[in-house]
Amino acid sequence: MFFLKEETKVISLHPSFFGPNMREYLITRLNEEEEGRCTGDHFVICVMDMVDIGEGRVIPSSGNAEYTIKYRAIIWKPFRGETVDAIVTSVKPTGIFTLAGPLSVFIARKNIPGDIKWEPNTVPPQYTDHADQVIEKGTSLRLKILGVKPDVAAINAIGTIKEDYLG
Amino acid sequence: MSNFLNHDFGSEDEDDDFNPPHVDDSDAEDAKPAKVDDDNRTASYGNDDAKHNVEEEDEKDVADDDDNDDEDEEDEEDEEEEEEQEVNNRPRKRRRGGVMNFIEEEAGVDEEEDEAEDEEDELAEFGTEMHPDDLDALPAGAETDDRRHRQLDRQRELDATMDAEKQAQMLKERYGRNRAAASDALVVPKRLLLPSVEDPSIWGGRCKPGKEREVVFSIQKRIEERPANSRNPIRIISAFERGNIMQGWFYCEARRQPDVIEGLEGINFYYPSQKLTLVPVKEMPDLLRVQKSEELLPGGWVRIKRGKYQGDLAQIEEVETNGLNVTVRLVPRLDYGMNEDANALVGPDAKRKRGAVSAVRPPQRLFSEAEAKKKHGKFLSSTSGLRGKSWNYLNENYEDGFLIKDMRVNLLLTKNVNPRLEEVTMFARGADDGTANLDLASLAETLKNSTAEDAYQPGDPVEVYRGEQQGLVGRTVTTRGDIVSLEVTEGDLAGQTIDAPVRTLRKRFREGDHVKVIGGSRYQNELGMVVQVKEDTVTLLSDMSMQEITVFSKDLRLSAEMAADGQLGIYDVHDLVQLDAATVACVIKVDRESLRVMDQNGSTRNVLPTQVANKITPRRDAVATDRNGAEIRLGDTVKELYGEQRSGVIRHIHRSFLFLHNKAQAESAGMSVMRTTNVVTVSARGGRPAGPDLTKLNPALAMQAPGGGRGANMPPPQRGRDRLLGKTVTVRKGRYKGLVGIVRDADDNTAQVELYTSNKPVHIERDILVPKDPITKQSLDVGRGRGGGGGSRVPYGTSAVPPGRDGGWSGGRTPMAAGDSSRTPAWGGAASSRTPAWGGNSGSRTPAWKNDGSRTSNPWEAGNRTAYGGIGNRTPAWNSGSRTPYDSGSGYDAFASGSRTPAWGNAGAGNRTPAWGGLPNSRDQRDFDDAPTPGGYSAPTPGAYGSAPTPGASAPTPGAWADNAPTPGAYNAPTPGGMPKRSGGGAYDAPTPAAYDAPTPAVGGAAATPGAGYGDDDGGPRYDDATPSP
Repeated sequence: MFFLKEETKVISLHPSFFGPNMREYLITRLNEEEEGRCTGDHFVICVMDMVDIGEGRVIPSSGNAEYTIKYRAIIWKPFRGETVDAIVTSVKPTGIFTLAGPLSVFIARKNIPGDIKWEPNTVPPQYTDHADQVIEKGTSLRLKILGVKPDVAAINAIGTIKEDYLG
Repeated sequence: MSNFLNHDFGSEDEDDDFNPPHVDDSDAEDAKPAKVDDDNRTASYGNDDAKHNVEEEDEKDVADDDDNDDEDEEDEEDEEEEEEQEVNNRPRKRRRGGVMNFIEEEAGVDEEEDEAEDEEDELAEFGTEMHPDDLDALPAGAETDDRRHRQLDRQRELDATMDAEKQAQMLKERYGRNRAAASDALVVPKRLLLPSVEDPSIWGGRCKPGKEREVVFSIQKRIEERPANSRNPIRIISAFERGNIMQGWFYCEARRQPDVIEGLEGINFYYPSQKLTLVPVKEMPDLLRVQKSEELLPGGWVRIKRGKYQGDLAQIEEVETNGLNVTVRLVPRLDYGMNEDANALVGPDAKRKRGAVSAVRPPQRLFSEAEAKKKHGKFLSSTSGLRGKSWNYLNENYEDGFLIKDMRVNLLLTKNVNPRLEEVTMFARGADDGTANLDLASLAETLKNSTAEDAYQPGDPVEVYRGEQQGLVGRTVTTRGDIVSLEVTEGDLAGQTIDAPVRTLRKRFREGDHVKVIGGSRYQNELGMVVQVKEDTVTLLSDMSMQEITVFSKDLRLSAEMAADGQLGIYDVHDLVQLDAATVACVIKVDRESLRVMDQNGSTRNVLPTQVANKITPRRDAVATDRNGAEIRLGDTVKELYGEQRSGVIRHIHRSFLFLHNKAQAESAGMSVMRTTNVVTVSARGGRPAGPDLTKLNPALAMQAPGGGRGANMPPPQRGRDRLLGKTVTVRKGRYKGLVGIVRDADDNTAQVELYTSNKPVHIERDILVPKDPITKQSLDVGRGRGGGGGSRVPYGTSAVPPGRDGGWSGGRTPMAAGDSSRTPAWGGAASSRTPAWGGNSGSRTPAWKNDGSRTSNPWEAGNRTAYGGIGNRTPAWNSGSRTPYDSGSGYDAFASGSRTPAWGNAGAGNRTPAWGGLPNSRDQRDFDDAPTPGGYSAPTPGAYGSAPTPGASAPTPGAWADNAPTPGAYNAPTPGGMPKRSGGGAYDAPTPAAYDAPTPAVGGAAATPGAGYGDDDGGPRYDDATPSP
C-alpha cells in the first residue's frame, strides 16, 4: 500500500559546499539517497517535497554542517494479502520469482494452481497449463502477497496465484 | 489384565443385579436424595459382606466362573459397591465440571429411555468387552449396571487415568493404593475401600518364572472343577499374577493359609517347597496397582525396543483384548540371505550371529518377493488372506511389503515415539503422493501424546481442534504440565482465558508467517515462510534453499529472526571459512554435525567443524576489480561474462575469487564462486550516489583550486614528521645569525637547533632558519612546517602528488590512459594546472618552452611532463623519459606517434630543462622549488635519482627504449646501454648515472657528485643537439 510519509534525514555538508547553492545540493542529495531506498520495512518511491530543511549546525572539529531535513515521501509498504502486479524474472522448478516494482516476490510451487505445471523442456522453461496460460520469464502476473519478510536492506515476499482472479 | 477384570465385573453385575439396585442407581444418578439412600444402604449392609463380595468377584474375575450360591449375596453387595462407587464418583463429578456433567446427564437419559430396550443395544456397544457366557446369563435388570459401566467406559475414554481408577473401583478399591497416578479427587473414597485386616489375606507363592499365568489358569480351572458348593470346594477366593513385574510370583486370596496350600496342591510350575508369603495388608493395594497402561489404538505409532528392529517405527495393526499383545506393522529389514554365507551356521552360534546381524542391519525396505525368491525361495510361501495376498517368509508374515508381527507391549516403546515424517511416509501404502494415504490423524494423535510440554510457549498462537472448545483460537498464556491456558483471540469468547489440555491443541500458523523449525525432523532450525497449512501439517518455504518443506505444526515456532539460518557452532551458512592455507570455502549447508562447503574452485565437500581452520570475517572494505577494471565491492551485483553467465550478489571477495549469492538458485544455497576477471558489474550496491559527496570537499571548488592538479582533491595535509627535522640549517638573523646547526625538534613556530658551534640546543624561530644542504651548503627549500611549505607547495603539487608518487603516477594514470579521450582532457588539465608550476620553477624556462613551438601539441607537452613525473625522473635523458610513457601505455601510442616527432626536437630542448625542474620536484622529501637556481638544483639530482626510479617505474622503460632508440640517434646511443640495465629494475641507481653519463661524457664524471645533477643543465644543450639530429 502506498503512503505519504513524513520523515527526517540528517545530511552533513562539507564547508566547501556552503554558498548560494546549498539548498540545491541538499535537495539533490536527499533525492539521490532516499528515492528507491528500501528500509526493510518499506520502499521509498519518491520524495515529494521538503517540509523543512532546518538550520545547519556546524559540527565542531570537522567543519561540516549538519542539516536535519524533514520531507514527505511516497512510500510503498507491501502488506500480506495485498494484490500486486508483477513481472516474472525467473522460473525455476521450485517456483516463480517475480518482481513487483522493487519487491521481489516468490511464488512457491504450492501456490501455483495445480493445472499449471512445470515444463522444463521448453526454451525457456515455463509453467504452463498446456493451453493459453504460459508463465515464463517476462510474463506479467497478478499475485497476492502471502507473507513479507523484512531484511536489512531488502524485502522478500512470497505470493500466490492460486486464487480467483490471480495469475 | 485390567480390561479383563473390567469386563467380567461388568457382566457379573449384570448377572447378579436385581431391579432395585437399578432404581437406586438411577436415583443416585438423577437426584441427590438418592445419595442418602445409597449411604443408608451401605450402612445396612455389613462391611464384611461387602468385602467378601468383592473377593468373590475377584475370584470370578480370575476364574471366569460364577458360583450361584454366592451370587445372591454378592449381587446385593455388588449393588452396594456400585452405590459406593456412585457416592465416590459424585464429588469427583461435581468437581470435574463440564465434561463430567455431560456424561452424568447422558447416563441419566440413557437410563430413562433405554430401560426397555433389549440387551442387544448394549451388546452392540459393549460388544467385544462382554464375555459371551455373561451375556447369556444376563437377567432383565442388568442394563442398569451396564449403563453404569458404560459410563465408566466413557470416563475412561475421556481420561486415561480412569483406567486405573476403574480397575480399582471394580475391586472396590480394596487393593488399590495411591501410589502414583490417582488424582486427589479420588483419595477420599478410595480410602474407604482400602483393604483392612478383616478382609481375606493374600499369599504370594513362587512358581517358575514365566509360568505365572499358567499357574493362575490352573487355579482357575481347578476352581471351576471344584466350585464352592461342591463337595471339596477350593477356598481360594482369587488368584492373580503380576506378569513380568513380579516374575516367579503369583498371588492367591484366601481366608486362611491352609486353604491356599490345599488349593495349590499339585499345580504345575508351582514351587510348593518355597514358603508362601503373606502380603501385609498395607501392601495389598500395591499388588493390584495397574500401571497406567498406554492407550494403544490401532493405527498408533510405537517403537520397537529390542531386536533387529530396535528403534524402528511401527504402526499398531491390532491390539489384543488383553492389552498385552499387539500386532504391529513394520518396514522390514531383510537381507534376503545375501549375507547368509558369512554366517551360515545356525545353532550354538545363533546368539553371536544375531549380534552380528544387528551390527550391520539391512536398511529398511519393503518386502519384495522377487528378492526373497532369489535365494530363499524355499522359505517363502504365499497365503491369500482376507486382506489380499500376504507372504510368509522365514516364519514372518508380510503384507503389502510390510512385516506384520505380534509383539508384547513391553517390547514396544509407546511413549515419546515422536515419529518423524520421513519415517511415517514409509508406511504410506502404495500411494503416488507420499502423504495421501497417510493416516495423519493417527500420527498427529501419537505426536500429541508425546508433545513435550515445552513445545508450547507463552504467546504461541494455538487452536483447539477437538473437545468442547473446538475451534477456539487463542494465544497461550501459561503452561502447567499438560494444561495450557490460552487467551482467546477470536470469536465470542475473545479476551477470556481458558484452560485446555495440550492434546486438544495445535499450533496455528497462517500462510506467510515466518517460522522456524524447532525440532522433530531433519529440517531442524530451518527458517521459512509458511505457504500452506493443512490440518496439522505446514508446508513452508525455506529461506535458504527455496525449497518446500512439510512439517508438523508442533515443530514450528514463529520466528522473528531474519536470516540467521542454520548454525553450527560459529559457522553459519554463507560464511567464508579457511580450510587450509590455500583453500577457502563458503559454507553452503550446515548439518547437525558437519558443514557442507564450496571451495574456491567450485567443488563442494563435507567437512567437520574441526577441519575448518578458521572463519574469515568479511572485510567490509574489500575491493576487487572486474574484467573491465571497474571497482567491485561486497554487495555489488555482478554477472559472469562467459560460461553459464551466472549472476549474483557478491558475498565474499577473497583474493581473486568472488563468492556470489543468487537467491534464485536453489543448489548450493545459492552460492557460486568465480574469478574476478570473469565478471562484469551489473549494478553497484544500492546504486552508489552519483552526485558529489557532500561530506567531502566540493569537487567544483577543488577544480578551481590552484593546487588541484589533475582535478583531484588537494593532497591531504600531511602531518607526521616535520620536514625540518634533522635538517642542517643556518640562521638567517638574530643572535645566532650565520650559525649552522641541525634541527633536533620543531613545532609550528620554533625549532630546537643544535648548533654546530655550541653543541647545545637552542630554540630559534623557524622563520629565520634556512635549510642547507649539509655538504654543499646550498640552501634548500624545505616545506615550511609539517605538510609542506606554502610557497614550495605549488610546484610540488604541480609536478606530482607527493605521496607514493612513483607508483601513483603510473598506477593512477593507467585507468585514465585506458580511455584515450579521457586522457587528453586530463592532460590538458594537468598541463594547464602545471603551467604556473613552470612559471614557478623558472620563469625563464617557460617562455623558452613556448618558443620551442612544441606547444603545437599541447598534449605532447603534457605527455612530456607526465614522463617527468612518472618516469621521466628516472631518465636523465629527456627523451627516454618522455618517450617511455608513449610506448608503454597503450593509449599513448597514437598520441606519441602524432606528436612525437615534431615535438621531439622542440620539446627535447625546451622540455627537458623544465623536466629537470620537474624531476627534483617530484622527488619526495625535497621540494626543489629552487631547482631553477643551479646551485639548488644540482644538489638534489643524485638524490632524486636514487629515490625516484622505483622498479615499477622502470618496468615500462625497456619497451619504450627499444622503440625510441632509433629516433634520437646520438642521444639514444648512450642510453640503451644504461637502460637495459635499468630495466632490470633492481639496480636502478647504478644504470642511471651510466645512462646519464653516456650521452654526456663531460658530465659523466660529475654524475656521481651532486654536481652532476647540475651538470645536467650543461647536458641540456647537448641533448638539444642530439635531439635535433633526428
